[in-house]
Amino acid sequence: MKRKGWTRFAAVIAVIILLVVVAMFGAEFIGLKRISEARFGIDISGGVYATLYPDVEPGREVRAEELEAAKLIIGQRLDARGIFDRTLYVEGDRGRLVLEVPYGSKVAQGSENQEISDQELIDAIGQTSLLTFQEVDENMTMLREEADGTIRQVYLPTGKIIIDGSNVSESRTTTYEGQLAVSLELDSDGAQKFAEATRRLIDKPIAIFLDDFMYSAPVVTDAITSGQAIISGRFTAMEAKELADTIKFGSLPFKLIPKMINSISPTLGEGALNVAITAGIIAFIIIAFFMVIRYRIPGVIAIIALIGLISSTLVFLSSIRASITLPGIAGIILSVGMGVDANIIIFERIKEELLTGKSFRAAIDAGFKRAFSAILDANITTMIVAVVLYMLGSGPIKGFGITLGLGVALSFLTALTASRIMLTAISNITSLQKLSYYGLKEAAIND
Amino acid sequence: MINLMAKRKTFFLVSIVLIAIGIGAIFVNGIVLDIQFQGGTQITIQMNDSNYELHEASAIAQEISGKVVTAKKLQTHISDGADWINLLMLQVGTKESLDNATIMEIINTIRSEFEVDSSNTYESQSIDPLIGAELLRNGIIAALIASILIVLYVWVRFSVMNGLSAAAFALIALIHDTLIIFSVYTVFKIPLNESFIAALLTILGYSLNDTIIVYDRIRENARLYKRTDVEELVNRSVVQTLSRSINTSVTTVIAIACVYVLAVINGIDSLKFFAFPLIIGMISGTYSSIFIASPLWMMYKKATRRKVRA
Repeated sequence: MKRKGWTRFAAVIAVIILLVVVAMFGAEFIGLKRISEARFGIDISGGVYATLYPDVEPGREVRAEELEAAKLIIGQRLDARGIFDRTLYVEGDRGRLVLEVPYGSKVAQGSENQEISDQELIDAIGQTSLLTFQEVDENMTMLREEADGTIRQVYLPTGKIIIDGSNVSESRTTTYEGQLAVSLELDSDGAQKFAEATRRLIDKPIAIFLDDFMYSAPVVTDAITSGQAIISGRFTAMEAKELADTIKFGSLPFKLIPKMINSISPTLGEGALNVAITAGIIAFIIIAFFMVIRYRIPGVIAIIALIGLISSTLVFLSSIRASITLPGIAGIILSVGMGVDANIIIFERIKEELLTGKSFRAAIDAGFKRAFSAILDANITTMIVAVVLYMLGSGPIKGFGITLGLGVALSFLTALTASRIMLTAISNITSLQKLSYYGLKEAAIND
Repeated sequence: MINLMAKRKTFFLVSIVLIAIGIGAIFVNGIVLDIQFQGGTQITIQMNDSNYELHEASAIAQEISGKVVTAKKLQTHISDGADWINLLMLQVGTKESLDNATIMEIINTIRSEFEVDSSNTYESQSIDPLIGAELLRNGIIAALIASILIVLYVWVRFSVMNGLSAAAFALIALIHDTLIIFSVYTVFKIPLNESFIAALLTILGYSLNDTIIVYDRIRENARLYKRTDVEELVNRSVVQTLSRSINTSVTTVIAIACVYVLAVINGIDSLKFFAFPLIIGMISGTYSSIFIASPLWMMYKKATRRKVRA
């Protein structure tokens, strides 16, 4: 019996040491990163956080699959810009896209100057255009200065839309009569409309617009009835690809407009992280002193269990590749507080049991048993809060919910297993069986 | 054994006075919403030093945006030993957000007017008022749903204490804490933002823990001492759990106080405004469990029992 207790004690210590080592140094062979290399949220690492809302006429319902499609398209556009390190997801009942791009990934795309890249990125998000093929009026033109400084005559939008981006099922570069060209595949609805228009508009241009911006104005040479068209011209490889991508990725079911944009400086975020970490360490040391002075041997055990709790939380967060945000850190600190509380509840109970004259072993067993219902109820209610925050909260609040919920579950486990196993083993050592080692006065038992 | 229950009127009075101050503060200070909930744009620019004129900065932003701008000087600290960073914070417009182009124009104009080093950092936050209102509404809904679920849980788990009444008084304690935290925000003019919701829910969770610990003891003692008077039962349970309640509050408050002190020293406003209400809320949570929920439940029990006899 005694030997079994010590084996468990050793196992608990070994597991905690292992967790600490994995948290501090990582375990590359199973893909776990050390905590200093963890993925941090935008509020710490800096970057852009934006929410994009579908811009639709009032009353029009936005379907979930439309949002998913928009997400895919935005993702492809970001890929095209080399922004691979990002988080993009659909959120909320009314539907919005949330985009987070950490500071580093914008630098990686080659623009060292944050000024340009921030603006570029926000443009990429904001100017999510509606692609249309429109009939044009050859008398309605304007002169436009291009990026390379040349002047080009372009058509103005007429609003006579033949097809829009949602009718395009595929668009890629191809060759036509030995020259680079862009191919176009339309869905059946689009093919029908396109056939009707091209029959009517032979030798006239059809202009491709992104919003009000004319992109290209190929002239119709034949009636296209198959739903498969070729746009030819003197394209360079780059121009052909750009046109194909514009047609393909331009096909959003609606415009997306940013209604919240936070552009966060990495320097300022780092300051907050440093404060949170330093505060955590100082708080831990003070709490450790408090626990040891107040509860002596159990206090030391609580500290070991808390180290296990903190490192297991960090390892778990690393394994699910969660971003660590400031509210997330607040959640960790609070769950550590819950862990301390669980230990305090148990130790106070053990003290009470010792005062009734029970043996150490019996008092510890009774203490854990009687404290259980209180700890369970307290943890479940906190868990309810964490789950509600996770499900209903957005962005930062969600992060808080995740770490709080995780921390509460782990603190419940560590208090009831790690603390218990260690304390039970220690209670077998006769030389440590003194009330004063459990934070009680020797005389107290006579009261 | 100390009779805490006998002093209940004093405890109620303390709470009523504090909450009254908070409600009074609403009329004096108003309810300040952060741009997160109200909508608007906030721009923070790192300046070379603090020797610049705020009115010049706000005039520039005002001219570009055509909206009312308030400007503030802030200082922050990145790590120990590093120099202070001087920041200019502009809040542009109330209940209106600016578009990206305008934001960038303001940032660039101010940076060139004040000859800000090109390596200096800046940040901006912009939120549409409608979305802000939605976030606020969602936050309130989250708090309400969490409270309802918790009350249902207490109702089921504490059937020995006549579940529903126990849950009702736990809820009153939670409302008490909400009002106290709200008072902290109004008295100290801290703008309400998402951290307010997080702080509120954390405190409600903690406060409920404290209530549950006391209830748990009442539940246990009710089984052990079946013929004890209610007042003695509640008082005994509160006193028995008192050292746990105090020790837990002390450790938690220590942890949050560390965050608060360091945030103040280093000028990190976001953490400061999160930690301060948490500290007050933690104390309020413990207080309300011991001195509000428990005595109220006891009074209710006594009152209903008397009715049965009569």
